[in-house]
Amino acid sequence: MRHTSLITVYLTLLIALLCQLFPWVGQGIIFRPDFMLVILLYWLLRAPNLCNVGTAWLAGLLVDLATGSLLGQHALSFTITAFVALSYQRRLVLFNSWQLAGYVFALLIIERSVILLLKLFAGNESPSLAYFWPIVTGLLLWQFMILMFGGLTRPKTT
Amino acid sequence: MLKGVHQKLEAQQTPAFFTRGASAFSRMVFFSALSISIMAVDARFNYLSQVRQAFIAALHPIEIVANAPGEWYRDVKKYFSAHNELVQENYALKQQAFEHQVMLQRLSTVQAENVHLRSLLNGNIPIQPKAVLGEISHMGRDPFTHVVVVNRGSQHNIKAGQAVVDSKGVIGQVTRVYPFTSEVTLITDKELSIPIQIERNQLRAIAFGEGNNTLDIPYLPTNVDIKVGDKLVTSGIDGIYPAGLAVATVTKILQNTESPFAKIVSTPIAGVGNHTQLLLLALPDAEEISAPQPEPELKPEVAIDRKKNKVKQNASH
Repeated sequence: MRHTSLITVYLTLLIALLCQLFPWVGQGIIFRPDFMLVILLYWLLRAPNLCNVGTAWLAGLLVDLATGSLLGQHALSFTITAFVALSYQRRLVLFNSWQLAGYVFALLIIERSVILLLKLFAGNESPSLAYFWPIVTGLLLWQFMILMFGGLTRPKTT
Repeated sequence: MLKGVHQKLEAQQTPAFFTRGASAFSRMVFFSALSISIMAVDARFNYLSQVRQAFIAALHPIEIVANAPGEWYRDVKKYFSAHNELVQENYALKQQAFEHQVMLQRLSTVQAENVHLRSLLNGNIPIQPKAVLGEISHMGRDPFTHVVVVNRGSQHNIKAGQAVVDSKGVIGQVTRVYPFTSEVTLITDKELSIPIQIERNQLRAIAFGEGNNTLDIPYLPTNVDIKVGDKLVTSGIDGIYPAGLAVATVTKILQNTESPFAKIVSTPIAGVGNHTQLLLLALPDAEEISAPQPEPELKPEVAIDRKKNKVKQNASH
């Protein structure tokens, strides 16, 4: 396992927030992946000793503050998703990359569904199917992360 | 030294597998409860708006960095826009300015006349609202709400509730103010309603956003006198939007036999989806909103006498 420091985790999360704040023009905003969530999941699954449910909650709160949505909305959805992610984290070593992608896909669906539920409770209109685009683009971003920073199962010694 | 590294690695990895503090489940329960209470506080009370404002102000530099590529792109595009196009635009604008000036000449006389007549009738004189020019800096972060962010905030004396217009008509209303930016909810948002009247027959109603670039005018009977193509303007009775601003044109009227109400769909006149400059109209002062005080102690004849006196006074001026 490569040595990852706490600073790397928080720095990448900050970059993710920056990507989230990037002004997406026109239709592009519909396809915008949830940068914060994907980066968070990556660190949750790869370095659970550095990053846990509390980190997820903090990241969610930052997203809420930055995007101006109801405060606590993303915090809750990230918390729940992080819990599900961590509860199977030890078994992921046995997964191949396709199974891992499927697992992340399921996690992204959970996060979107929690947000959708909260929005419906808050009285927003039920959004169109385009609401689920970030799941697909988020999965692409996940694969990109794996390519860039390496997968989760890296041999300890050569 | 090698041994030291080994120990360091072990010290880092051992807690990961055996001692991890509270279990993930209890953490999840704790943080979920915390988020839900924050949501309740944020939705019901305004305690957290200060926190949000402070955070957004702290985030402003990051936002500038994030917005920079878009700004550069626009600048470059502006720089390379063809000379011919600019000349044409210049010509068109000059012509427009000329036409407007001619109209304005008439306006000033009409306005003076209007003020004079109103003073004769003891009416209150309509106030010209002050306005601040702003520019949309970006769309809201959530694509499913109709919100834009404008580059004017509480540092520029913007207050929540101000009406926002562009050159064609009403865009929306300021809903959240941060130190350097403010959020404008568009009239097409489902949360926003706007008091309107039909320009043709002065029929009063309230238009609601539908969340999909149209407005809905509910609770009007099926036999209401509205036609496709009617222009909706603000009625001004809310004291926020000045009267007479263009809002929308009626595009579709559906008569549903099952419902006692007509379904009236209209589209906004202003460039709600455009990336343009906006005017943020100042809120009227509290004294200006309050209705003119009636004078119950005066008898009708006396009141008429007073009016006559005033007319005389004016005539003698």
